[in-house]
Amino acid sequence: MEKEEDPRNGDDHVTATKKPKLTNFITESELRSEFSHHEAGVARINNGSFGCCPGSVLAAQRSWQLRFLQQPDHFYVSTLRPNLLRSRALIQTLINAHHIDEVSLVDNATTAAAIVLQQIGRRFAHHRNDTVIMFRCAFPAVKKSIQAYVTRAGASVVEVDLPFPVSSNAEIIAEFRKGLSSAKSDGRKVRLAIIDHITSMPSVVIPVRELVHICREEGVEQVFVDAAHAIGSVSIDVQQIGADFYVSNLYKWFFAPPSVAFLYCRKSNPSSSETHHPVVSHEYGNGLPVESSWIGTRDYTPQLVVPAIMEFVNQFEGGSEGIMRRNHEEVVRMGKMLAEAWGTSLGSPPEMCASMVMVGLPSKLHVLSDDDATRLRSHLRDKHGVEVPIYYRAPKNGEKGESEPRDDHGLITGYARISHQVYNRIEDYYKFRDAINRIILEETSLQGCF
Amino acid sequence: MATHDHHLNGDTITNSTTNLAKKPKLSPSSTFITASEIQSEFSHHDPSIARINNGSFGCCPASIVKAQQLLQLQFLRQPDHFYFNHLRPGILESRTFIKQLINAHHVDEVSIVDNATTAAAIVLQRTAWAFAEGRFDKGDVAIMLHYAYGAVKKSIEAYVTRAGGCVIEVQLPFPVNSNDEIVHEFRKALEKGKEHGRRRVRLAVIDHITSMPSVVIPVKELVGICREEGVDQVFVDAAHGIGCTDVDMQDIGADFYTSNLHKWFFCPPSVAFLYCRKSPSCLDLHHPVVSHEYGNGLAVESAWIGTRDYSAQLVVPKVLEFANRFEGGIDGIKKRNHDNVVEMGQMLAKAWGTNLGCPPEMCATMIMVGLPASLGISSELDTMKLRTHLRDNFGVEVPIYYRVPKDEEVGVITGYARISYQVYNKVEEYTKFRDAVNQLVCDGFTCALLSK
Repeated sequence: MEKEEDPRNGDDHVTATKKPKLTNFITESELRSEFSHHEAGVARINNGSFGCCPGSVLAAQRSWQLRFLQQPDHFYVSTLRPNLLRSRALIQTLINAHHIDEVSLVDNATTAAAIVLQQIGRRFAHHRNDTVIMFRCAFPAVKKSIQAYVTRAGASVVEVDLPFPVSSNAEIIAEFRKGLSSAKSDGRKVRLAIIDHITSMPSVVIPVRELVHICREEGVEQVFVDAAHAIGSVSIDVQQIGADFYVSNLYKWFFAPPSVAFLYCRKSNPSSSETHHPVVSHEYGNGLPVESSWIGTRDYTPQLVVPAIMEFVNQFEGGSEGIMRRNHEEVVRMGKMLAEAWGTSLGSPPEMCASMVMVGLPSKLHVLSDDDATRLRSHLRDKHGVEVPIYYRAPKNGEKGESEPRDDHGLITGYARISHQVYNRIEDYYKFRDAINRIILEETSLQGCF
Repeated sequence: MATHDHHLNGDTITNSTTNLAKKPKLSPSSTFITASEIQSEFSHHDPSIARINNGSFGCCPASIVKAQQLLQLQFLRQPDHFYFNHLRPGILESRTFIKQLINAHHVDEVSIVDNATTAAAIVLQRTAWAFAEGRFDKGDVAIMLHYAYGAVKKSIEAYVTRAGGCVIEVQLPFPVNSNDEIVHEFRKALEKGKEHGRRRVRLAVIDHITSMPSVVIPVKELVGICREEGVDQVFVDAAHGIGCTDVDMQDIGADFYTSNLHKWFFCPPSVAFLYCRKSPSCLDLHHPVVSHEYGNGLAVESAWIGTRDYSAQLVVPKVLEFANRFEGGIDGIKKRNHDNVVEMGQMLAKAWGTNLGCPPEMCATMIMVGLPASLGISSELDTMKLRTHLRDNFGVEVPIYYRVPKDEEVGVITGYARISYQVYNKVEEYTKFRDAVNQLVCDGFTCALLSK
């Protein structure tokens, strides 16, 4: 009755820390093959937005999908939960969580935000006018989630500016302290701090450990780290970071298909038993991991392929750590190459980025608004075969400001967020470099063309 | 093609559904799907199982799975391009298709979500906010059927009871003999809801087709009663609705109506629609997963709840192509499923000397068949064990319902099997079930013999 088990579906010998044998590393041509479904001719330097999924993990996923379709009742009764548990156990090890009960699988960080903020919002019913602190550049979905669940329940929000371009952690810490003072003013209690591990736009690695520590010192009640980009781009140790809630997407940098994320909820946080999945099934009240493991009939296969992902990353020298290190080195190298070619600068020093870096765009492009940034991005996609998100940075201190980033021709107001993942090649970045140069040189009406 | 009447919405309506559910042209029968083509479309089903439980998880033909895989691949090839240029128009197309299928007036009224469980969370969260923000008074009432789906009952507990609302259950008779019995109980429960004078019945949650035990509820009539009796809003949970019974939003008249498309409408897991009759209160409905689309209306919010696989939602219009390969299209399929499940149910009841749980006109494509009393089903746990026993040892997949004996009832039938009929089913699967039960009876089997 059962088809032969696909070994990529997770044999017992595959563990999170197993290093590959020296002679078994993935070859260049195998790597090409794993990502052969990527559209040819596109310089895909935006892994940060939607991630990627290698062919072998997709095959494992299809295998699970087929098993469900073959006999769904049997799948539901015998296959689903044990294999979800297996995925959760692997994640627990990867992030150094103490209890598997602390690890839930959800669709994405956006869903995790809804879960955490609903819980926070319920507490505000009794403590109106207390505050929540977050970065102004927090992901738009998170900001809207705050509006939907926290502001609506009566809380005030204090936003912390992220200095950008930024030169050191100290700058970020100073701004955060300022924000925290403001949030505590007039005797208010700070019920929640939301801290990005790696911001989205502009992208910078935040000193989360320090900031969480400061939150504890200053009596912040709960800390939620939005680490959408973290797993697969930085090492994660939830004991060290010390937050109450920590979420990361697996489909961005950890080779999962769309979509799956883990939400870590520290057991010692008294609110963890009050945390529920908003889609309520018969599992309501059995703990978040169990609730999340059944929210009605749907396709849970992205949550089942974690063992197959481990098999994939362990084909690389150094496994996941090796991949992260090489992505970081390459993206910094490519960022510097571009900045040099254009006469611009990077948005942060190398040690404050992981596998993404913000590269200043030539001022001659005249990116002067969010709309300009969007249109440039579309133009690069449609006319130059380059996929890269563009960020508009409004000048803070006016034209004459001393600390404004500049090139030889004016203020730098546009930044490209380039990513590096295992499928990228140097040619992708040369293509981007040349496209920008061509736009400046040849395209006569800069305002008109994009 | 002739239209035909259905009694499935509680009264007779003419099946002139929509221009979209257009019948295939009158052609020689050779252009209709053949038995072997159907076999091929469902060749991924485990052949050793008598799969007579379409009601739980539905089915998806190979050609739809293939169409879905193409969409998944399209995203993986160049996700940014897909997100910016293909996703939203594709979702709008699916919503437009559904709108026509269900006779909604505006496409704004149609949102696509994962499943009926998610739809329940959306409707009930609104209720919870209304209590929290003082629009409803503590003690105001929500009414639901005793046979409401487990997840819906828990959702009502999470969002209504927790928020201070009072929940009243409509006790339904089972076995049931007529719609009147259901209407009678419903009226009784409504009276109880209003009885303490100052409280209002804010929401009635009514199944279109209950899950266990499965019966078609006269929703149109019950909605009418709700309007007469001043119930604020009515939410019809039609998880089994579309592809199984007629679904006409104007005819039924509910404020909210949800149905899964992966159960009886050949979609892959999972996709459902939530219909919200246009009214000021719709502005208050939100998807619980909040994205940057928050505040742009439920349909737009639901079309983007973060990065995930939306392919099941995008493939919906392709189902019509599949359904139209059958004589009579989706309506023909529904009718034949109904006729066949009734025939199979009657065959089984006769073979076992038992009875059906309701008359044929109160079922759609599922029917409850009494199991021989000698099997000794005396608890819900027994039903689960028996179900597992049938799956593991007889290759039959069928859910069993435990019907608690009332006071002074002796020797009654306490177990009912819910059999389904879908286009891939064959008579042999039901005779396999018949024979399995006969063998159990013959062997003197009782549930007490099954180990824990």
